[in-house]
Amino acid sequence: MPKRQSGNKKGKQSNFAKLSIFQPNKYKFKKTCPLSAKGAPAVDYKNIRLLKKYMSENGKILPSRITNVSQKKQRELSLSIKRARNLALI
Amino acid sequence: MNLYEHTIIARQDTSPSEIKQLTEKYSKIVEKNEGEIVKTENWGLLNLSYLIKKNKKGSYIHFKIKGKGNVIDELEKNEAIDKKLLRYLTVRVKKFDLEANYFAKREDDEKKESYKN
Repeated sequence: MPKRQSGNKKGKQSNFAKLSIFQPNKYKFKKTCPLSAKGAPAVDYKNIRLLKKYMSENGKILPSRITNVSQKKQRELSLSIKRARNLALI
Repeated sequence: MNLYEHTIIARQDTSPSEIKQLTEKYSKIVEKNEGEIVKTENWGLLNLSYLIKKNKKGSYIHFKIKGKGNVIDELEKNEAIDKKLLRYLTVRVKKFDLEANYFAKREDDEKKESYKN
């Protein structure tokens, strides 16, 4: 899967790069998904201010490898962004 | 019975009384088909982010409907013909979010921004 590959690349570039190949992966620097945490706002096509955080200035959807949104939430995000686009809110 | 969120956008030159007529017209259609309107929200005149049929603004009306699928069929059939409307969107939801009203807040922010400028 392409996602796993990108994750490995990121690990090499970060400050917590692996010293050896056999070192366990758990020390890798990893951010958590901002939308899956407790008390996170629900993804909704009416909540434009939230959706705009995850879009570029040109109105494109930002990839999850930049925003660290989980796969499940990214799917919800893209769907609700498309709904908001249809209503000309974004 | 399903729960639906239904939004329609009316043209920019519709008067407030016409918007009332529109809401009544579509509320009646819902009631005829044994649906129930839980809530109606009038989001007011909002700026469209892109032109739709040469309209820069649109008045948004939002319904929260409880009913069967045929209610939506009938609604969308009538809305597709209606020349006063620009767009409509129906979303099936599992739970209604009756507290959050994103658009009342948003208007205040826009006003604040315009004051700053």
